[in-house]
Amino acid sequence: MKKKSILILCASLAVCIALLWLLQALLMPKYMGSVKEGALIGEYYDNAGNNDVVFIGDCEVYENFSPITMWEEYGITSIIRGSAQQMIWQSYYLMEETFQYETPKVMVFNVLSMKYDTPQSTGDQTQREAYNRMTLDGMRWSDSKWNSVLASMTEEEKEWQGQWSYLFPLLRYHDRWSQLTAEDFQYLFKKDQVSDNGYLMQTGVKPYEDEHVQPPLVDYTFGENSYYYLDKMVELCKSHGTQLVLIKAPSLYPVWWDEWDQQMVEYAEKHDLLYVNLLETQEEIGIDWSKDTYDAGLHLNVYGAEKLASYFGRILVDECGVADHRGDDTVSAVWAEKVATYYARKEKLEAQS
Amino acid sequence: MKRWMAFLLVLCMAVGFAACSTPEAPTTDGTTPNVGNPGDPNAYYFTHKGTDIRLNGDMEAILKAIGEPKKYTEETSCAFTGLDKTYTYDSFVIQTYPKGDKDYVYMFWFLDDMVETPEGVKIGDTQAAVEAAYGTDAYNGKNAFITKKDNYSMTVILKDGVVSSIQYTIVIG
Repeated sequence: MKKKSILILCASLAVCIALLWLLQALLMPKYMGSVKEGALIGEYYDNAGNNDVVFIGDCEVYENFSPITMWEEYGITSIIRGSAQQMIWQSYYLMEETFQYETPKVMVFNVLSMKYDTPQSTGDQTQREAYNRMTLDGMRWSDSKWNSVLASMTEEEKEWQGQWSYLFPLLRYHDRWSQLTAEDFQYLFKKDQVSDNGYLMQTGVKPYEDEHVQPPLVDYTFGENSYYYLDKMVELCKSHGTQLVLIKAPSLYPVWWDEWDQQMVEYAEKHDLLYVNLLETQEEIGIDWSKDTYDAGLHLNVYGAEKLASYFGRILVDECGVADHRGDDTVSAVWAEKVATYYARKEKLEAQS
Repeated sequence: MKRWMAFLLVLCMAVGFAACSTPEAPTTDGTTPNVGNPGDPNAYYFTHKGTDIRLNGDMEAILKAIGEPKKYTEETSCAFTGLDKTYTYDSFVIQTYPKGDKDYVYMFWFLDDMVETPEGVKIGDTQAAVEAAYGTDAYNGKNAFITKKDNYSMTVILKDGVVSSIQYTIVIG
């Protein structure tokens, strides 16, 4: 009798957990429609391993570099671990997590996020949390994720012990039931791949016409916390024998102040790092801002991203010694599929735009 | 058995309570966040052509009163929907945030000495003039005078001892 009771109890518990899991899966945003950015981090795991180059950072990496172009032109195997307004502490923990899956030859970090020293410094905290979710919810469970959660939480999240909602997202998304759409049911168990090795393709064109003005700052010095995580990146990459390359993507806004650039130049010199400010080489890259951006200079479209990948791939080969894998049949077979998917997506998006 | 059933019930209730104690889940609507208080009469302002241009002011009404800018740009942001708009006039710039189907002033800053603060401070003024207007408490000890009122902020930046920038913004965060 006692044995039967335990069995019933276990079965009840299992059903309860399964229902909660199902409910959670249903209520969590799927990021398959208009806001695909939230799906990027989760896509890494299917493409992890054997990448010689890993890009880490905010929209300036996942919108601006085409890994497929770098493969086609140089045989470089690369992937982007980017997410919208990714903070530097999130980049650090993504980097740390990446080393659990692979040890790339080069880690490329976009330095725009140096301007945000704390979660509070980004402005509106509701928006900050939405961005946090897009980076953190997609990560698999690990110490890196947990530490990233703790470093990322807004003051409001801390007040209601929000860290547990990253462990059990149902706690956060319980009120989405009234916003559920067909997408939530369609992608309940399996999502589409929205990116090409982390690159989020855009085919639209919205020319850059006028300078985006911003007022001067009281203080241009990057914060201590930003430098703390940049230092940790340097140490982390060094400990794995990976070359850390700092870049500033050629996006025209938000403004990349000269005073910021100078700090990165000095930091790179001090730590013997390669720092490439791609804003300074726009002409060499061949970016045409009347055709190569889909949002007036904030990001490149696919035509610009291909030009930038072509330019930066040469730097990776010449200055970092990244190898050409096109002679390797196994690797080539894997990338042939990626290339086919890329061009099918490009064709489809071009037909839509 | 009953004890276990009670445990399950308590577990489900705990999840429910915990869930209900959290704020509404974040969304990706709007770029500059909708934290403003449109039409707030206490917000910082300056006057141009007899019109008060005020933080949280209705941009449509401002445009009607002072006319079209010489330059207009729109800014998006990563992942978020909505547009922040920038209106550049000869002597100042206004940035807005969207709320509903309208745009409200989020920030403005001066470009030259043809406009001044309600306290009479303008670009090119000396540090002494700024101090006389806003007091020493507002000085950050380095290069700026910063005043705050509710969730608004005014910043006067000095360069080589004279005012180089005057900015007003809604403080968010």
